[in-house]
Amino acid sequence: MNMMDLHKLYDAVLNGDAKTASAFTQEALKEGAAPLDLVTNYMVPAMDEVGRRFECEDYFVPELLLAARAMKAALEHIRPLLLASGAQPVGRVAIGTVKGDLHDIGKNLVASLLEGGGFEVIDLGADVSPEKFVEAIKTRDVNLVCLSALLTVTMGAMKTTIQALEDTGVRDQVKVLIGGAPVTEQFASEIGADGYGESATAAVALARKFSHA
Amino acid sequence: MKVAVELVPLGRKLELESGSSLQDVLFDHGVEFPCGGRGRCRGCRIRVLSGDVAVTPEMRLALSAKEIETGWRLGCHARVDGPLMLEVAQWEMDVLADTALLSGGMRDGAGIAVDIGTTTLVAQALDLRTGQVLGVRTGLNPQCEHGADVMSRVQFALHSAELTALIRQSVGRMAAEVSAGREDVRDVVLVGNTVMHHLFSGVSVEPLSAVPFRSSSLAETTFTPRELGWDLPPHCTVRFLRCLGGFVGSDILAGIAATRIHRAERLTALIDLGTNGEIVVGDRGRLECASTAAGPAFEAACISVGMRAATGAIAEVRTSGGGFACHVIGGGPARGICGSGLVDAAAAALDLGTLLPNGRLAGGARELRLCGTVVLSQRDLRELQLAKAAIAAGLRILCERRGARVQDLERVYLAGAFGNYVRIASAARIGLLEMEQERVEPAGNTALRGSKMSLLHGAATAGIVVEHVELAAVGSFQDTFVDCLSFPEIECTVEI
Ligand code: B12
Repeated sequence: MNMMDLHKLYDAVLNGDAKTASAFTQEALKEGAAPLDLVTNYMVPAMDEVGRRFECEDYFVPELLLAARAMKAALEHIRPLLLASGAQPVGRVAIGTVKGDLHDIGKNLVASLLEGGGFEVIDLGADVSPEKFVEAIKTRDVNLVCLSALLTVTMGAMKTTIQALEDTGVRDQVKVLIGGAPVTEQFASEIGADGYGESATAAVALARKFSHA
Repeated sequence: MKVAVELVPLGRKLELESGSSLQDVLFDHGVEFPCGGRGRCRGCRIRVLSGDVAVTPEMRLALSAKEIETGWRLGCHARVDGPLMLEVAQWEMDVLADTALLSGGMRDGAGIAVDIGTTTLVAQALDLRTGQVLGVRTGLNPQCEHGADVMSRVQFALHSAELTALIRQSVGRMAAEVSAGREDVRDVVLVGNTVMHHLFSGVSVEPLSAVPFRSSSLAETTFTPRELGWDLPPHCTVRFLRCLGGFVGSDILAGIAATRIHRAERLTALIDLGTNGEIVVGDRGRLECASTAAGPAFEAACISVGMRAATGAIAEVRTSGGGFACHVIGGGPARGICGSGLVDAAAAALDLGTLLPNGRLAGGARELRLCGTVVLSQRDLRELQLAKAAIAAGLRILCERRGARVQDLERVYLAGAFGNYVRIASAARIGLLEMEQERVEPAGNTALRGSKMSLLHGAATAGIVVEHVELAAVGSFQDTFVDCLSFPEIECTVEI
């Protein structure tokens, strides 16, 4: 399989075509493509481009979700091979919408773009208690925690969560990134988070910065 | 030095140079100056809610001593000397009252019906025997000072009892004014959303501040005028009708009574196109309701060029010769766009092909030039997509629970101000209302009408049972919502 053909994987992810992405990945692997090469040279750049288009408002929620679905369809085939080869992800992220808040669409977008960016993502879901975040850090070797909140009244739960990380002595092991419509940079520094991201794309940029530091 | 000035009820926040005059700024926000700002008429009246505006000789001529004492000033002669919060009198005219004639009840005397909105208040006094309206008062909810939406009110109320005192005082004053000292006032019926109910009743809002937003104090509350400190005949009773759920209040209960959907033979819906986006779907067998949290896009509050429906606002947009034809309120230059204009503009742009079904402006354009200097950004259109998808998804889900499609609804009533002036054809074109236009009926202030019905016929809301559906717990919400984000490819009428 040549470079030209592999570019189709890039296009399939970018266009949110899960069927082609899956079929193509399978075929490429059968023909001896290196799993890590598929990820770093085609899928990550494709998801970066998806993020870029989302950032400049060419793409919106549906396009991003479709691209994420295509990426996941391809990853299905690649992940077992990566695991077997012992390849390390860029970083390990635990993400969730904080306690009391059930809005998870924005959080899902962030999780998908992080995954597309080469991170291993542990999605704890919505309405996640501080204890669950602590547990994930303790048991899953997480180095980045992402908190999402869409309600003014649940922003406080971000603070409680960070407090719980302090109290259980795991705060130093991780960087904490927060986001969601009502959240601001200023609020992030007030509650002692390490960073604030306005969008899913910003989340990936920050996560990369923290993971290379 | 810059100082902060806030204009209510729209919640516009401005930064102004201290010492500057208010007239230009108010004009830019749609306030009209009927006499040209010479201080001769009282058209541009503003009321100081917090801060100070110096009284000028012109104001002493145009306003009564009592008005000046209660904070009224003339906008055209006002100067900014420090931080201010101002109520704009003209903006209150927009408050939707109810003009429906209702048949009278079996009792003598008078009654008062009040719709306590998050932003505005309306009170009507009625003759209980004839149903005739004796008087109307509208006003601003004084709680606006402590936050524009219900969530911020709840947050404020967690630490202070002030909101309860404020609303009781305001409504009490309106009730006394509208009944004009009549001795035969027997009943006062209040309706409002759940947060308004709790705040008025003095019930803790804490359950409404956190998941699962479920309160155990949804029941009707009753008071005597004395308990509230109101200047009404001592034997009259004040009732705040019961709520239906954490985010669905007695305004919706009253709306059901007013539109009689609890008696409907076929599947019918009532939709309040406001920030909470309450929806009721059902028939005489069963009713279900939900709130979809659409946000303020239909009030154009989160739109870059958004403004209220006032002079300078684009209120209508149609296509004309491959471009846009805009109707600007007042006929002058366009300064912004209001909710109905926004929905029209998106519909027209879809027809012209300048806006694609996925919400993207065609040809990589960054903005949609409507008229004069008014342009919609790609971001504005995204905000509209989120709001309309929330409503459309909520309606689809409630219909699905009855094994029906949205197109199967026999009738759809739109409650509230926006529902009254949005063009139905445009709402259908953008996929906000996915049904035949003939089935949609703007129903006006159904909350007030329902509370009047309850006043005249005590049992009007008694038999109404509504099941509250928690959309957050509906697994298919995200998929449905995402599906609803795009605009229909072709004009959205019924599927064949
Ligand atoms: C969809 C929706 C719902 C759905 C949620 C479905 C779901 N599974 O998520 C339903 C109907 C269930 C719902 C319920 C409620 N909602 Co709601 N909802 C919305 C709505 C319409 C869209 C939110 C959304 O998905 N946006 C799209 C996503 C992509 O954007 P986003 O989440 O901001 O995420 C982006 C960024 O913020 C960032 N980001 C997000 N998380 C993170 C995390 C990190 C670490 C980083 C770096 C970045 C980041 O990246 C994302 C992509 O760029 C908004 C109004 C609106 N027009 O926006 C109201 C809104 C958020 N809801 C609101 C309210 C009040 C509620 C309810 C309390 C009331 C109700 N009426 O029922 C309930 C609460 C339920 C609960 N316990 O959580 C209010 C919040 C007001 C406030 N200031 O608190 C809003 C603003 C509407 C309003 N009334 O004004 N809601």
